Amino acid sequence: MLFKTTEAHEEFRAKIRAFAEEEVKPIAFMLDKENSFPHEVVKKMAKNGWLGIPYPKEYGGAGMDALSYAIAVEELSRVDGGTGVILSAHVSLGSYPIAAFGTEEQKKKYLMPLAKGEKLGAFGLTEPNAGSDAGGTETTAVLEGDHYILNGGKIFITNAPIAETYIVFAVTTPNIGTKGISAFIVEKGWEGFEFGDHYDKLGIRSSSTAELIFNDVKVPKENLLGKEGQGFKIAMATLDGGRIGIASQALGIAQGAFEHAVEYSKERIQFGKPIAFQQVNSFKIADMATKLRCARFLIYSAAELKEAHEPYGMESAMAKQYASDIALEVVNDALQIFGGTGYLKGMEVERAYRDAKITTIYEGTNEIQRVVIASHILGKAPKEDGGVVKKPAAAATGARKKILFKGTAQEQVDQLVEALKGDGYDFTVGIDKDTPIVEADRVVSAGKGIGEKANMKLIEALAVQAGAAVGSSRPVAETLKYLPIDRYVGMSGQKFTGNLYFACGISGASQHLKGIKDATTIVAINKNKNAPIFKNADYGIVGDVLEILPLLTKALDNGKEKKPAPPRVKMKRATVLKEADPFDRYVCNGCGYEYHTELGDPDGDIAPGTTYEQLPEEWLCPLCGSAKIDFVKVKTKEDK
Amino acid sequence: MHCVRKVTDDLYWVGANEKRLHLFENIHPIEDGVSYNSYLLLDEKTVLFDTADWAVGRQFIENVEYVLDGRKLDYMVINHMEPDHCASMEEILLRYPEVTVVSTEKAYMLMQQFGFSVTDNFHQVQEGDTMSFGKHNVVFVEAPMVHWPEAMVTFDTTNGVLFSADAFGSFKSLDGVLFADEVNFDRDWLDEARRYYTNIVGKYGPHVMDLLGKAATIDIKMLCPLHGPVWRKDLGYILDKYVHWATYEPEEKGVLIAYASMYGNTESAAQILAAKLHEKGMHNLRMYDVSKTHQSYLIGEAFKYSHMALLAPTYNLNLFPPMESFMLDMQKLNLQKRVVGVVENGSWAPQSGVVMKEILDSMKQMTVLNEEVSVTSSVSKAVYDELDSLADSIIDSMKQDYKY
Repeated sequence: MLFKTTEAHEEFRAKIRAFAEEEVKPIAFMLDKENSFPHEVVKKMAKNGWLGIPYPKEYGGAGMDALSYAIAVEELSRVDGGTGVILSAHVSLGSYPIAAFGTEEQKKKYLMPLAKGEKLGAFGLTEPNAGSDAGGTETTAVLEGDHYILNGGKIFITNAPIAETYIVFAVTTPNIGTKGISAFIVEKGWEGFEFGDHYDKLGIRSSSTAELIFNDVKVPKENLLGKEGQGFKIAMATLDGGRIGIASQALGIAQGAFEHAVEYSKERIQFGKPIAFQQVNSFKIADMATKLRCARFLIYSAAELKEAHEPYGMESAMAKQYASDIALEVVNDALQIFGGTGYLKGMEVERAYRDAKITTIYEGTNEIQRVVIASHILGKAPKEDGGVVKKPAAAATGARKKILFKGTAQEQVDQLVEALKGDGYDFTVGIDKDTPIVEADRVVSAGKGIGEKANMKLIEALAVQAGAAVGSSRPVAETLKYLPIDRYVGMSGQKFTGNLYFACGISGASQHLKGIKDATTIVAINKNKNAPIFKNADYGIVGDVLEILPLLTKALDNGKEKKPAPPRVKMKRATVLKEADPFDRYVCNGCGYEYHTELGDPDGDIAPGTTYEQLPEEWLCPLCGSAKIDFVKVKTKEDK
Repeated sequence: MHCVRKVTDDLYWVGANEKRLHLFENIHPIEDGVSYNSYLLLDEKTVLFDTADWAVGRQFIENVEYVLDGRKLDYMVINHMEPDHCASMEEILLRYPEVTVVSTEKAYMLMQQFGFSVTDNFHQVQEGDTMSFGKHNVVFVEAPMVHWPEAMVTFDTTNGVLFSADAFGSFKSLDGVLFADEVNFDRDWLDEARRYYTNIVGKYGPHVMDLLGKAATIDIKMLCPLHGPVWRKDLGYILDKYVHWATYEPEEKGVLIAYASMYGNTESAAQILAAKLHEKGMHNLRMYDVSKTHQSYLIGEAFKYSHMALLAPTYNLNLFPPMESFMLDMQKLNLQKRVVGVVENGSWAPQSGVVMKEILDSMKQMTVLNEEVSVTSSVSKAVYDELDSLADSIIDSMKQDYKY
C-alpha cells in the first residue's frame, strides 16, 4: 500500500478541477454576493455524469468509487464551497437512502433520475425541536388507506426548494422516540408540500437552503423507505456516508484558501522579501499543509473503507470532525496571511473563511461526531436515571389556549372579537401605530404571508382599529424591507411584552416566538394550519390574511377615533389546564403499580418509550410479579 | 345479646358497630365509629358473607348463632381478606368445623399468611364461577385492587343483591340504621363515605372503574357493602359519586383552602384570600389549618372540590412538614386534574412555593395558576393585591373543565 490515489483518480480529479476553474470560478463571487444557485453549472455536471458518481451504471450512475466522489466534492469546494455541498447533499443525502434501502421499484423510479442528474435530491431530518437529537421529531405521517398523510415541517434543508426528490423523516408511531420514525420519498409539487424561507446565510451562499412545509401531503404507501420504524436507522446510516462528503467539502474549502495564501505570500514583499519567508508565515504554511494532508488521509481512508464494505462509521466521523475543525484553522491562517486584503469582499479567502464555518455544524455537529467516535470506542453510555423519552416539547411561548375558531371567515372573526372582548380588551382605545414595540401594549405584526408590499395597508388598517402598533417578522423588515429594521419582533429584534399580539401571516420561527413569549394574548392568522404559530397562540384563525384582515378590521371598528389608551397595565395570562400525557396508562391488578411508557422498566430491561403493547409477553410487574395480561387499561368516563 | 336486622327475604345483617376505636387502620380518625358488616343467607344451605373485626368478635358470633338458630353453617364466602373483615374467620372455623370457605386463589394465599386454618375446606372460585345454595344462585366477580388484589364481589342473581366488599362502604357506625334511605345520607353520611373512599381506595380509581364497568352489565337491586348502610334505593346517587371519585372528577366547583401557619401570618393570607373569594361571589369554599386537621379530612375535601389554594411557610429551606405530608398523600392517592393556587411564605429564602410546585408537577394534570404569591414574613400591600388577583384567577379558571 502506497497511501496514494490511483492514476485514474488523479485523472478524474483533473477533470473536475478544470471544470471548477472554468465554469464555477468566474461566477463564484457573483453567486455568493447574490445568494444565487448555479443552475447551469449543475446542469453541466449532470451532463458529465457527475451527479451519480458512486452509483451503479444500471441505475444511471457513473459506477465509480466513494473516493472518486470525495475527490469531486473536494475539487468543487476548492473553488466554491456552496457548489461542493450541492453535490454532497444530492449524492450522499438525497440519493444514498434510496440506493441503500430502496426497493427495486423505488430505485428505478427515483434513484435513476437522481443518478443521471435529471433530478436533484435533498434530505429532510432537522426540525425546530429535532436537530442532533432526532428523537424530538414532530413531523407526523399517518397511514390512511393507501397513503400516508404527512404533516409538519423541516428546517435548514440543503438544495430545497430546487430539488425535486426529498427523503423526509416523520413519526409513524408517536411518543416512543427514535423507534417511531420512518423515512419517506416525497416529490416536489405534491399538494400541500410547500417551501418556506430561503435562508440568508453567512456562507455557502451559492447553495440553496430552505424550509419544507407539509400540510396533509398524501404520500403513497409505496414511498415508505424501508419499513416503518426504520427511519432513524436509515438516517444514521445515511449520515455515516454523508460525513465523507462534508469532510471533503471542508478539505476543499481549506485547500483552496491554502493555495491562495501560499501564492499571495510569495508575491507580497515586506521587509525586503516575500512574506512567505518570514518564519512566522513559513511555519504557518507548514502547519496548514500538514493539517490538510492529515485530513485528506482520514477522508480517503474512510471512503476506501466504505467502498470495501468495511465498517467506516467511526472513521467517517473522525474525518468529518477533523477536516472541518482544521478547515476553520486553515482558512483563518490563510486570511491572516492576506492581511487587510483578505478581509475584503470578492477575495476568495474571505469567502472561504465564511464558507468553512458551516462544515463544523451540519450533518452532525462536531460535538455529535465526537459522541459517535467515543461510542465506537467506549460502547453505549450507562443508562441514566429517570426517563429519557421526552414529552412533546413545550410551546416556545409557554402554555397557551390554542383555540382555533370554526365556521366561515366572518364567523371566525366574530368569535375572535368576542373572545378578546371577553378577556377584557377595550377596542375604543388605542396607541399610535408607530409606538416602539417594546413600549406597545398591542402590536399587529405582518409576516411573509402578507405578500406584496401594498398589502401592508391591511396591517396598518387593522393596527388602527385594534389600537395597536405595527410590527413584523424578521424577513418582512430585513429581506422585504416593508418596515424599518427596528420594527421586527423576535429574539434578535424587538421583544414584545405587552398584552395583545396579532401574528398575521407569520409562520412562527422559533426566534420570533421567543420574542413574544411574554405577551398576554397571542392571536394567529395564517393559511397554513400546521404553522407553529398556532401551537403558540391563544386564538387562531386558519385563513388567508388578505381575506381575514379586512373582516377583522371592520369588526373592531367602532366608528369613532380611538381614545388615547391609558398607561399600559399588564393583564393576566389565561389559565391553561394541564393536558394529559400522551400515553395510554395501564395498572397492575396484582398491586396497583402503574406502568409508565416514558420510564419503561429499567430493572426488567425495558427501555423508556416502550409502550405497554410493545412489552414482551413474558414481562412481569416489577413490584408484585403479576403477568403482563394482569394489567388493565385506565379508562375514562367516556370509556365507561 | 344479638343485634341483627333483616336485609331482605332469607338475608340478615349480622355485623357489628365499633364505637371505641380512635383510628381506623390505625391512621384515620373515626369520630363517629365504623360498622363491620357481615351478611348471613338462609337457604337450603347457610352462607355467611365475610366476617368482622376481632374487636367486635363477640357481638358478631352472637348474631351469627342467633340467625342460624341451631342450623349448621355450610359456606363462608370471603370477599375481602383485610383483617377488619376476616379477623373473626378463625372463630367461625372453630365453631363450625364443617364450613367450606369460598374465595379466590389470592385470598387463599393471604389466609395462609395471616395464619388461618384453611386447607381442605377451601373452595376456590374465579371470575364468572357460579354456585347454587338452593333458591339462591350467585356469581363471583373479581375486583382486583379494590383495594386489595384478592378482592371479589358476589352477586346473587336470584334477588339482585351485590355483596360489594369495601366498595360503597363508609365510615360511621350504623347505630341501628341498616339502609341508606333511613338516613339523610347526603347531609349526614356523604362526607364520611367520601373520606373513607378517597383515603382507602382513592389511588385505585382505574380498578374501581373497571369493576363499575363489569357491574353495569348486571341488574343490581341492592348493594351490601362491608361498612356503612345498605343501598336499595337511588343506587344511581352513590354510583355517580363513585364515578366522580374513581375518575378524579370533582363533585363541585369550589375551593379547598388548606393553609399552614406558624405565627398567623400565612393564616392571614388565607383569610384575605377567602374573603376576596366570597366578596367576588365564590361562596363554595372550605378552609382548613393543615397542622390541626387530620389529613384524611383534607384528602376528602381535595377530591370533592375543583380548586385548591395551598398556603404554607418555608421550613428548613423546604416545605412546612404537615403541608408536605398532605400533598404527598394526595400524590400517592393519585389525585389529579385540579387547579391550584400556590401561596408561599418565607422570611429570608422562601422555598415552600418551589417545593409545592414540584410536588404538583409530579402529579397528573395539576394546573398551577400563573398568579403565584410569595409572602415575605407578613402580608404587604403588594401581596394583598396579589391575593386579590389570585382570587380573580381562581374564579376565572372555573369556566374551564378538564376531560375525565
